[in-house]
Amino acid sequence: MTTSDDSKFAFPKMDRREFLSTTAAMTVVAGVSMPQLAFGADKVVKIGFLAPLTGDVAAWGKPGYDGCLIWADWVNAAGGVKVGGDAYKVEFVAYDNEYDPAKARAGATKLIKEDGVKFVMMLGGDTWPGVEKIAAKEGMLFSTLLPSDLTPETKTLLAPCEVHPIYNVTGVEWMAEQFPDLKKAVICAQDDALGKPSVATYLAAFEAAGIDVVDDPLFFDPATTDFAPVMTKLLASKPDILCLDTCYADYVHPLCEQAFQQGFKGKIISCTMDFYQKVIEKTSQEFMEGVIFQFPDFDDPALNDAKVNFQKPNEFYAEYAKRYGESEWGAVSWEYASIMDLWADGASKAGSVEPGDVLEAMKAGGKGKHAFGTADWWGTELFGIDNALVGDWPVVVIEGGKAKIKGFKSIPAWWAKHSDLMVKHFKALGQMYNQR
Amino acid sequence: MELLLQTITNATYAASYMALIAVGLVLIFGVMGVINFAHGELYMAGAYSVVYLYTDLKMPFFLAVAAGLIFVGLLGLVMERALFRPLRDNPLGGLIASIGFLLILQTVAVLGFGVRMEHVPPSTQEKIFLTEGVVLTVQRLYVIVATVVLLGGLWLFLRKSKFGWALRACAQDPEAAALQGISLNHTARLAMFIGAALAGVAGALTAPLVSPTPHMGHAVIVTAFIIIIVGGIGSLEGAVIAAVLYAFVHTFVTTFYDGVIANIVGLSLMLAVLVVRPTGLFGAKDRA
Repeated sequence: MTTSDDSKFAFPKMDRREFLSTTAAMTVVAGVSMPQLAFGADKVVKIGFLAPLTGDVAAWGKPGYDGCLIWADWVNAAGGVKVGGDAYKVEFVAYDNEYDPAKARAGATKLIKEDGVKFVMMLGGDTWPGVEKIAAKEGMLFSTLLPSDLTPETKTLLAPCEVHPIYNVTGVEWMAEQFPDLKKAVICAQDDALGKPSVATYLAAFEAAGIDVVDDPLFFDPATTDFAPVMTKLLASKPDILCLDTCYADYVHPLCEQAFQQGFKGKIISCTMDFYQKVIEKTSQEFMEGVIFQFPDFDDPALNDAKVNFQKPNEFYAEYAKRYGESEWGAVSWEYASIMDLWADGASKAGSVEPGDVLEAMKAGGKGKHAFGTADWWGTELFGIDNALVGDWPVVVIEGGKAKIKGFKSIPAWWAKHSDLMVKHFKALGQMYNQR
Repeated sequence: MELLLQTITNATYAASYMALIAVGLVLIFGVMGVINFAHGELYMAGAYSVVYLYTDLKMPFFLAVAAGLIFVGLLGLVMERALFRPLRDNPLGGLIASIGFLLILQTVAVLGFGVRMEHVPPSTQEKIFLTEGVVLTVQRLYVIVATVVLLGGLWLFLRKSKFGWALRACAQDPEAAALQGISLNHTARLAMFIGAALAGVAGALTAPLVSPTPHMGHAVIVTAFIIIIVGGIGSLEGAVIAAVLYAFVHTFVTTFYDGVIANIVGLSLMLAVLVVRPTGLFGAKDRA
């Protein structure tokens, strides 16, 4: 029943016939003029994002999620992912695992059973063991940034973007070519699933390059807050090279500060140098000049090379900087988005978003379109399964306060020459797939 | 020799900020009988005061540190009035309330500043070369000097002033102190303000050295508990000596052996003291 008061909200200047005809016309116009949006909105595929969004390791989760939101906005605005004649809008469902295996297990269960996701992206590392069983049981397709999580038992886990820590060999190889006089290195890392395989990799790369590691690798407790003693020990042997391994950003920054304060004059090499502008602020541009690491800023012109498969890297970086701030760009800002490129490609080829179909399509032919060029599915010798996508990787150097790509080096080419060294050091640190 | 001297320098700095935190924790326990689990978050609040005032608002560093000291001291007063006073007869309730407050402070920090670590530029990059190759940055020297001044001042306050006597009297026997006309509420407020302010100033002074995060209090509170157990719960002198002992053991083991082993050695030190002397090095009788 409509009261007189209600009637004032019921289109007082339009009779029922006009209202119906206008609405019908608008619907037709919308359907004709925006077919992709209307079509894409019909189907939605949910993707799980199961990574640390808070806590010490958030720097390798949160910026990646932020990058995924840009990816989703762009893909959805373009009509969604085309799969077997349908267009799917992509929706990310995030779960903060706080880099805790138990929370990762709870998150994986929720994402798969409650949210109905078709693919789950993880950082991996210490959180993967919490998820491994449910991944195998459900047959869900997972990705990790850390191929050291791979084992032959979990066939649905892929490392399609990062071949951490294997790509670290490229930085060492480049450094040895450019600075042949640097011969004494020291290395430190937090004592965890990220630090140890990376140490094994650096030890192999240094040995291959003829660089002596003059002291045992220094493993520090992840709860360390004062890095002065750590740096004092590292610098005691007067090294030419200070290797910061795959330390988290929360450790890389104070380690660099301590190296600066304790007067280190040599070369710093690190897997990551997230938020390096902040380190420069706390040390000096001169001190940080020439620091070598592995993760470019995506405004780098070198990424416009035809072989690079990441879509519009410079525009992606500009959008990221606009949304979140330039200083928020980190190692993983682009990585999860690049995994989504591979997943979308696989889903389109498969004509399905079902995990098994997409996995098969992604690995078809043994090659994939990695962000930095066509790459091979590889890994049996080190991980027991060819589920890591490996190809070229950039070497990045800080010059004039800005990260610049100095070149792309081939990981498979290094592996062909020095695989025995890598296996030796992985075994020595208990990091082979059958030792973990 | 160079390595040895640098390690001693590093340990002196570590002992300084640990002593500030541990003494505050002991003072609160000694006078109020409450184990304040939120003490690490008071340290964090001091650090974020500097993030906001010094880094964001560009206030002079020492003014920001002083403001941090007062702000965290006031937070202590809020805790005393809202949490610990209503639960004075229920020590377990006080402990649980402090855990709740800890979570509130962490959440406020996350909401206000985000989950990422903050970057506080050093107020100075000057260094002092104690001998060739042995460096003490002036930023670290500030912490050492502030600790000596503040703890020296606290010692004089407790030993020489009327308010200090009142605090010690309440710590020894609250009922007898009340019968002598000493206000328990007033002494509890005073203890909470001083204890919290010491944690806050430690956080504020070390903010440029540690990259503050909302969860930075966790590691600190664990270390502080080890120190006060080794020193003897309730003993201020014990807390200072245990902080020096722990810092030197931890720093030397880290430098000459391994950082992971250093933590094990620190815990072993606590266990050894508990086995040999369950009341800690300085016992619990001589509170405050």
